[in-house]
Amino acid sequence: MAKQQKEVRDLQEGGYVVIDDAACKINAYSTAKPGKHGSAKARIEARGVFDDKKRSLSQPVDAKIWVPIIERKQGQVVSVSGDDMQVMDLETYETLTMRIPEDVDVEPDDNIEYLEMEGQRKIV
Amino acid sequence: MFPGATADREDANFVVVGAPLDASTTFEPGTRFGPRRIRTFAETFDDYDVRTGQYFTELGVHDEGDVYAWDDVTAYLEFLEGTLRDVVWDDAVPLAIGGEHTISAAGVRAVEPEVFVCLDAHLDLRDAYDGNPQSHACVTRRILEEESVEEAIVLGARTGSEEEWERAAEADVTVVPPEEVADFSFGDRLEDREGYLSVDIDGADPAYAPGTGTMEPFGLEPREMRDVVREVAPHATGFDVVEVNDRDDGQAASLAGKLLREFVFSHADAR
Repeated sequence: MAKQQKEVRDLQEGGYVVIDDAACKINAYSTAKPGKHGSAKARIEARGVFDDKKRSLSQPVDAKIWVPIIERKQGQVVSVSGDDMQVMDLETYETLTMRIPEDVDVEPDDNIEYLEMEGQRKIV
Repeated sequence: MFPGATADREDANFVVVGAPLDASTTFEPGTRFGPRRIRTFAETFDDYDVRTGQYFTELGVHDEGDVYAWDDVTAYLEFLEGTLRDVVWDDAVPLAIGGEHTISAAGVRAVEPEVFVCLDAHLDLRDAYDGNPQSHACVTRRILEEESVEEAIVLGARTGSEEEWERAAEADVTVVPPEEVADFSFGDRLEDREGYLSVDIDGADPAYAPGTGTMEPFGLEPREMRDVVREVAPHATGFDVVEVNDRDDGQAASLAGKLLREFVFSHADAR
């Protein structure tokens, strides 16, 4: 997985983080105060970008953590066939096949935005 | 560590979380010492429960320690809620020990129950107290605003402002006065519904639990509280005991720790 290292304190809601080897989008971030003898901790609640599974972690704010490198791309639907669609990447003009999500309705010539990481793709 | 809470976190069926919040106590403070007192005065209890034939140490109870409290109550509740939600996501039952009653809001938000059952001397239905909607005097009202919560059943309540009694008269609140608790029947109100049980120790008569911030005479007998806990525990997926302070010789903390254990024994026995 393409990733870079950050400190937990640098994360924010709407950003991405790796939890249990899965790329996740952060939907809640809360911090606890340290008092005199503790260290400030952060709790992150996130959802898997590609598997939609809920995950959380709780770590000191100065702990190192991996952030996945996810590309946001533009594409155009070329054709639709059953549950799959052919999409042309508008940057490279490469054509690829993607599964149509259940809650998305697409037609040929529609422009879509999708996330890509190491061959995994998801429409946003 | 709560005595007998010897399970590892990954094996836990129940997780004790201390929440020593002491920000809005309106008369005598000291709830910041509640978790410590409850753990201390639970040391004398036997591992074996003769009623259910169970050993506490065999029921998978883990003590997570305290979530250190600071004075930004909104931020604290958010962090505490997350800590308790982690317990829920691990398919365990959170057992929060307060701390002031305000912490129940975090427990309810983590568990998302349909029924909020509460032992309490007070209605806690004010919209705000001294301008503070996060006050411990408002917690039941805040909880009723949660999307999942359909109703609140408050047992042992015997005091409130006129505004609170008006709110209590609405269909989503049931108030059972102390003298009616022993004969009160939940009927089928807990069947097939997820419950959350909150024990405010001041529900007990002050003679039994003087170590609490706002004592209210004419209260519940400990055995009446015990029986309510035993009845509700099988239907509850979250529990807390709150409002214990350090201003007695351990009576309030002892009762709180015993009721927590009763919850665990009864919940585990019904599985």
